[in-house]
Amino acid sequence: MASMVANGNQDGQSLVLKGVDPETCMIVFKNHWAQVVKILEKHDPLRSSSTLPSLSMINHSAGSSGGPRFGPIPGDEASAVQNYVEHMLFLLIEEGSGQAGAMGPILEFVVMENVMERLFVWSLRREFTDDMKLEQLKMYEMLVGQAHQPLLHHKPILRPLMMLLSSCSGTVAPQVEGELVLLLNQLCCVLAKDPSILELFFHTSEDQGATNFLIFSLLIPFIHREGTVGQQARDALLLIMSLSAENNRVAKHIAENTYFCPVLATGLSGLYSSLPTKLEVPNEEWHCLHKEDWLQMPSLVQFLNSLEFCNAVIQVAHPDIRDQLVSYIYNGFLVPVLAPALHKLTLEEVMTTTAYLDLFLRTVSEPALLQTFLSFILLHRHDSVHILDTLVSRINTPFQLGTVSLALFRTLIGLYCEDVMLQLILRYLIPCNHMMLSQRRVVGERDCYSVSTAKILALTPSCCSPDHSPPPLRQLDSILFSKGAETPSNTSTTEENDSFLEEDDGLGNSCTIGSEIYLDVSYLHYLYDARLSISSCIRACQVWSARYDGEDPPPEKYQPGVLEEPGLKKPPSITQMELEWDDSYDACPVQTDEAPVESKSAQQPPAELPKHIQEMRKTAIMLVKGSYIEENEFQDDVMVYNLVAKKDSRDVERGRLKSNRSESEETQPGSAEVALQNGLNFNSHLQITTTAESGDDLLAQYEELIRTLDTEAVKKPNADLKTPVTPAEEEEEEEDEMDFTSFSAETPEPEKLQSPFGSKFVSGSAGRSHSAPFTGPFVSVLLSRLENMPSNSLHVNLLLTGILAKLAAYPQPLLRSFLLNTNLVFQPTVRSLYQVLAIVKNQIEEQAATRKDFPELITAAQHWLLARETSFVAAGDDAGRMLKSSPPPKLRAISLDRTEVFAAVLFTEFLKELAAIAQEHSILSYIPMED
Amino acid sequence: FLFFWKILPSSNHQRSDVEEQSGHREQRASPARLPFGKKQLPPIPKNAAPITKPASTGTPAQSANGTHASYGPFYLEYSLLAEFTLVIKQKLPGIYVQPSYKSALMWFGVIFIRHGLYQDGVFKFTVYIPDNYPDGECPKLVFDIPVFHPLVDPVSGELDVRRAFNKWRRNHNHIWQVLMYARTVFYKINTTEPLNPEAAVLYEKDVQLFKSKVVDSVKLCNSHLFDQPKIDDPYAISFSPWNPAVHEEAKERMFTYKRRPEDHHKGTQVSGLSWVKPGSTQPFSKDDSPPQS
Repeated sequence: MASMVANGNQDGQSLVLKGVDPETCMIVFKNHWAQVVKILEKHDPLRSSSTLPSLSMINHSAGSSGGPRFGPIPGDEASAVQNYVEHMLFLLIEEGSGQAGAMGPILEFVVMENVMERLFVWSLRREFTDDMKLEQLKMYEMLVGQAHQPLLHHKPILRPLMMLLSSCSGTVAPQVEGELVLLLNQLCCVLAKDPSILELFFHTSEDQGATNFLIFSLLIPFIHREGTVGQQARDALLLIMSLSAENNRVAKHIAENTYFCPVLATGLSGLYSSLPTKLEVPNEEWHCLHKEDWLQMPSLVQFLNSLEFCNAVIQVAHPDIRDQLVSYIYNGFLVPVLAPALHKLTLEEVMTTTAYLDLFLRTVSEPALLQTFLSFILLHRHDSVHILDTLVSRINTPFQLGTVSLALFRTLIGLYCEDVMLQLILRYLIPCNHMMLSQRRVVGERDCYSVSTAKILALTPSCCSPDHSPPPLRQLDSILFSKGAETPSNTSTTEENDSFLEEDDGLGNSCTIGSEIYLDVSYLHYLYDARLSISSCIRACQVWSARYDGEDPPPEKYQPGVLEEPGLKKPPSITQMELEWDDSYDACPVQTDEAPVESKSAQQPPAELPKHIQEMRKTAIMLVKGSYIEENEFQDDVMVYNLVAKKDSRDVERGRLKSNRSESEETQPGSAEVALQNGLNFNSHLQITTTAESGDDLLAQYEELIRTLDTEAVKKPNADLKTPVTPAEEEEEEEDEMDFTSFSAETPEPEKLQSPFGSKFVSGSAGRSHSAPFTGPFVSVLLSRLENMPSNSLHVNLLLTGILAKLAAYPQPLLRSFLLNTNLVFQPTVRSLYQVLAIVKNQIEEQAATRKDFPELITAAQHWLLARETSFVAAGDDAGRMLKSSPPPKLRAISLDRTEVFAAVLFTEFLKELAAIAQEHSILSYIPMED
Repeated sequence: FLFFWKILPSSNHQRSDVEEQSGHREQRASPARLPFGKKQLPPIPKNAAPITKPASTGTPAQSANGTHASYGPFYLEYSLLAEFTLVIKQKLPGIYVQPSYKSALMWFGVIFIRHGLYQDGVFKFTVYIPDNYPDGECPKLVFDIPVFHPLVDPVSGELDVRRAFNKWRRNHNHIWQVLMYARTVFYKINTTEPLNPEAAVLYEKDVQLFKSKVVDSVKLCNSHLFDQPKIDDPYAISFSPWNPAVHEEAKERMFTYKRRPEDHHKGTQVSGLSWVKPGSTQPFSKDDSPPQS
């Protein structure tokens, strides 16, 4: 039979048969069968063709013993049967169905005489080897795949098939497995086309005393298999899954009687455990797993295949199966496997898990599965801390964990998911506590005249002003804003005054319609990008439940704490401490002459800190001290030492801070030290103040210290800062009375009459929370990393600015006004993006002033970035951020270690990006959508 | 451009032949346009090849607020775009405007008067916006043909807008208000300090004669409706008699568009996620969120 199958239909037999009339075929078939029966009966112990023993019994015993029971069958007889059967099968395959879909005569004969079943029993008589199974599987595969009439409707054909299949369960021979899965896949295709067979499959199983849906059960072991077999099995299962969506019986069976969902979910756990626990990171710039990364990792490929399969199942399966699978993934993979993996003890392991999580989020597309992952991140608590809080806290960690965490949040923000944005940022903005009470009405206001845009652009450091860039970089001059298309501009005319165009309607009404002004071309690109990203964000957010405009949901609605599940509420101090733990890293190298930090924190670890945070901190500190060597795999010593060196040099620059701080520290009791070190972040110190359990005395000292540190840190910038930061200045002077009274009622802009300091005179603001205004850990950690822009590496800054630009594109007025409205008056404790940008600008100006070669370095960095961009464009990547231009001339070499130079260039571009986003918001967010 | 499509249904009973001739050409030329009424930055004229300025030209050009002067045009352009979106939002009855191709500072418009003394009047006009907008004077509104009206200059066709906005104030005054005002004057006649004293006097002394003069004026205006636009501009509003070959398809598309508003979102498969129950501020508060444990 094998040879027959192998030759298949290529040997032209079908063509030969075409000419033969059906009657002759029938006669031939019957003759062959008669010969076969002779041989069969000769070896049948009962010598009877009419009474068959119970097949399931035979099946069972044959399956278990596997040996011949009635003496060996001579080889010539076996091959004779095989030859006859070969011909018979061809005749059966080639037979077309009779009139009105009736069985053809051969098929009818096969059914009546129970040919297939008897043949199966016959093969059981003989040694039922893997080769035999293979032959039979191929036989059925050919029948199912090539027959011209439907065969599976007939029990006498279906039953022996099912028996064959069940005899193959638990088989180990790879060949048999391959053929089995192929046949199963084929059967599923038939089922998908003709679901009416489904019932028969169930009944046939029941006849055998089994309640299972055999085809399905046989496929399950192959779910997680790699290679073709696994893929075919998963494809076949998916066919059944989509069948289940319409067939309750199948759905119920799969959900209640099979281990499909648990196998699928726990399989993920199994595959996950075989992933490398530490990734070999190619370079410092690396921050997420790209396709070219994971394609090199077979175990990860396999995991992703299974994850994608889960995704596909959830997409097509019946809701019962979907819900069950999702629940198993949550309780069988995310909680027991991924959560602990996210809290491993070393930075590298945690970094690796974070990168995996990011990759998984980017792989999953089905909302129900995404929801599972997201609710795990947002709601699950590990050691009583939300996963989300832990992840946010890691943004500020040193080394790659921080960068990888940033990349994860970039993915999260890119999902346009209301729940994510609510937990990350919006819930802190809903109460509107971050702004002065009077400013609430400003939230929804549009920036008609690009005031915010202008203010953002005005932060451009003077060293990066377009005027200072030499021609190839300076694209100011290559576009004409002139609208006088008819009058070709004279290229020799460079005087702007010459090119004013007057449009005169002949009656003395003229208007200047645009002068030939040279524009920053790159800004046009930013506008275009901003437009795209805002409009897609607006579209995406149409499914959201609220507008987040300061009225919907109402500010009173969100009462932090009230919304926490009762009994699960955790003391806020933990979050705060934990979020800031990494700052202790910042502080630690400072204390050079004091007792080693690790011993200190080991002596008196703050009781509230969760264990994993403490461990992580220890690791980080050891890493910094260079004393950290983990097993043999730690290869980053060089990098660590570099970073430590960099850190030290920076600390020298921060000399005054250092002395100031260590002085004070000496006077502080140990337990407050962490809080002290953490408190460097001005934004968070109030939060700590409200929650810390220390005495008032200590608090006062502590606050005092913070204040001195803060003013110290921004001392120089402050003088310049005052001007741009004070929002009141931008407010217009008192306007005359409206004289066009008929319009006053309809004037849509609500901001009039409201003094920016109105809140001072508004008493008793009802319903306002008394807690210190805080825009949430995520925003503050982002801003505090942004503040360090000059010392951040280029790729960190690219990630940071990318995330902020993504956030800024969100159309929700609360978020938009918080990030982009430079006129909004915030509470004094709230730091705004604009303030941080102003601080960065001043840092850059300061550095530019102290270094003579700064302009030269800027140019080199610009060229470097330009070349980088060009290479991306060449590689087919998205064009975008930076201006494109001709290849740079001979470059002054610049090391990436000159972070402050790159930061200056990037900062300037980021300002343009933000400005463009602000400007597009003023248009796009107000376009009335078609109802 | 779509903004113009919207004209048809509302003006059908008047003249269902409003068609912005060059609009189609423009649209084909730039298919990337989003179907909002938003006007984008003007395309770069083909003949205006990029000019490379000598590197040494110019001193740092800082404008008063510290921003580089090269961004000035962007601010102006976007301020006007913002104004234009406000106009769209207002859905002013019977008024349609379109910024010119050549300048965002010049808007073409048409106003349909549906009842009152000026019933059936179709008046084309042009709005001129000062280039120091929004800090300059009030925009001017000039009718193509001087309508017989106390507040319309009989020679220039300019409407006395300034009486309503004697000082133009940013944030408070908007161009839609000027358009609204232009509409109001035809329904509520004001004769104080007229630009057309004859009309003012007639209205006060001999309303019947005033009325007949208005009727004549309306007729005159409408008889010139199919004239070439006064200002040669691809975006100028021009009317032509109903021609099924030209207009039927456009009309058809307008109505189909109205029926399937999601259409233009296809191809860009961006969809957000939300499991927040409306009225709740809790994540995953929707009822159909599958249970996790």
